[in-house]
Amino acid sequence: MDWDRPEFTLLDHTADLGIIVGGPDLKCLFKSAASAMMHIMVNIDPVKRIETAKLSVSGHDLADLLVRWLGEIHYLFVGENRVVTNAQIAFLSPSDLDALLEIVPFDPSRHHVLCEIKAVTYHQIEVTKKAGVWEARIIFDL
Amino acid sequence: MDIKLEKLDKYRWLIPKTGAMRVPGMVFSNEKLIKDAQNDQSLPQVANVATLPGIVGHSLGMPDIHMGYGFPIGGVAAFDMDDGIISPGGVGYDINCGCRLMTTLLRADETQPMIKDLVSALFRNIPSGVGSTSSIRLSKKDEADVAVQGAAWAVKRGFGVPEDLKRTEDHGAMEGADPSLLSERAIKRGRGQLGTLGSGNHFLEIEVVDKIYDSEKAGTFGLFEGQVTIAIHTGSRGFGHQVCDDFLKEMIRNMPEGPFELPDRQLACAYLKSDLGQRYLGAMACAANYAWANRQVLMHWTGETILKTLSIAPKDLGMRLLYDVCHNIAKKEMHTINGSQVMLCVHRKGATRALPPGHHLLCDTYRNVGQPVLIPGDMGTSSYVLAGAKGAMDQSFGSTCHGAGRILSRTKATKMAKGRAIHRELEDKGIFVQSRGKRTLQEEMPEAYKDVSQVVEVVHGADLAVKVARLRPLGAIKG
Repeated sequence: MDWDRPEFTLLDHTADLGIIVGGPDLKCLFKSAASAMMHIMVNIDPVKRIETAKLSVSGHDLADLLVRWLGEIHYLFVGENRVVTNAQIAFLSPSDLDALLEIVPFDPSRHHVLCEIKAVTYHQIEVTKKAGVWEARIIFDL
Repeated sequence: MDIKLEKLDKYRWLIPKTGAMRVPGMVFSNEKLIKDAQNDQSLPQVANVATLPGIVGHSLGMPDIHMGYGFPIGGVAAFDMDDGIISPGGVGYDINCGCRLMTTLLRADETQPMIKDLVSALFRNIPSGVGSTSSIRLSKKDEADVAVQGAAWAVKRGFGVPEDLKRTEDHGAMEGADPSLLSERAIKRGRGQLGTLGSGNHFLEIEVVDKIYDSEKAGTFGLFEGQVTIAIHTGSRGFGHQVCDDFLKEMIRNMPEGPFELPDRQLACAYLKSDLGQRYLGAMACAANYAWANRQVLMHWTGETILKTLSIAPKDLGMRLLYDVCHNIAKKEMHTINGSQVMLCVHRKGATRALPPGHHLLCDTYRNVGQPVLIPGDMGTSSYVLAGAKGAMDQSFGSTCHGAGRILSRTKATKMAKGRAIHRELEDKGIFVQSRGKRTLQEEMPEAYKDVSQVVEVVHGADLAVKVARLRPLGAIKG
């Protein structure tokens, strides 16, 4: 999937915000979810200085792995002011994930925060395969 | 999930115990508000909480209840210390998100012409908005001290006076805080955010007392008609979020084995007696204390800004803390169950403690009238000051509502506000608002919330808290 054109559906939630994302395989699904979250949070002007970083995450099961994967990318932004602008998932099993991230430093003069996601929640988290297509539902705390 | 509701009387609805529920649910509401609650998943969430081990009495919903994640917002649940659990989701991400109200000697009719200047000055001086950072930069040692000492840390450094601590829930410092339990991430996120308002539903509001309902209690609280008051609503910022996130993830990995299934992973929990449960309590107390210090610092800067903008002396402003309450917390409290005094862990997720007159935890000033309860409404209508009532101890573990409660999702509110200038609409009503985030005013517009006066009527009618005064907004800053 193209990181810059994530396809996702916004879910209505009284206090918060949710998304539904899909993908032909799990790697696509996880990449789509990360891209959707970043596109909801921040608008990035193209920048030249891109660093790369390896990220490994492990989880209890697929749903836990998805929350932890998104949680790590979310923390890079809220804890370290670093914005993930692309991700290549090299390995993904139901409990482990290895990825290579492209990251730019957040620059308030060039980048625009669209929505403050405060946390990736486990509320109603779902990762399912329907008619050969993977789908996930994630609720964010705003 | 179909939820059966039995109306008990004008203000109380029972959710009978079914399926895996260990206790029944009880929702304080009225005919209008209960319909709102039926339109989202908040009532099934009351039932889900009732399935957790060690829950005592009822799983409770306040009249401002709305759908949260795991626990409903406006939910109260008490757990036995021996066989009960503690759940970070039952406290929420913004640990000790809360509200404080300051009284002044200013009269609204004299101050009104300066409201725009005041709001603009506050908007400049109070850091607000997404990822806002403070002029205070905490060292690791400072942060550990804040986590243990709470509001007292700020008072010691000149942000307020010792009297403020008596007028803060738990004197602004929860016992048992242990900074060694904090992750590096939590410490890092807390370093630059002490003295910041944040975004979303956080605000600083200038108000006028426009109606007194109980003159004796209002007199004790220092309230009079026409008086200018200031409310601050914020919490523990990224620090609290990280504490919640860290322990939620650990609890999901280490869910206790036992005869219960989590209806929602966000309800992940640990037994109160377990090492993990105790560690969460110690870390949560750190975040609660950070939040009290945060509101203490913001109060001080607010006073400084008003003095400078109006060019008046502190004695003419006469700013004094009326009270500070937390909305998101789990606390060890003594309650009477079947005639015996029992220590319980009371989770308040979007709910306020409401101690009745005579309670030993109240400071001398308020002991005879009950604990001040601060209920902010939406930006366009009113907020209320109430006092805790005896019925709260009998029915809701000394708890009441915390605000108006959302009725529209942020997405729906934004859609509804499309093409409208919310700040202009508010200005037409005499309310001057400045906001950092472009969408904040749309998401937080008055129609996004329930009618706070109905919420307050329910808690008054159900004897959880009694009405003392109504406050009308004059101006606000939003994140």
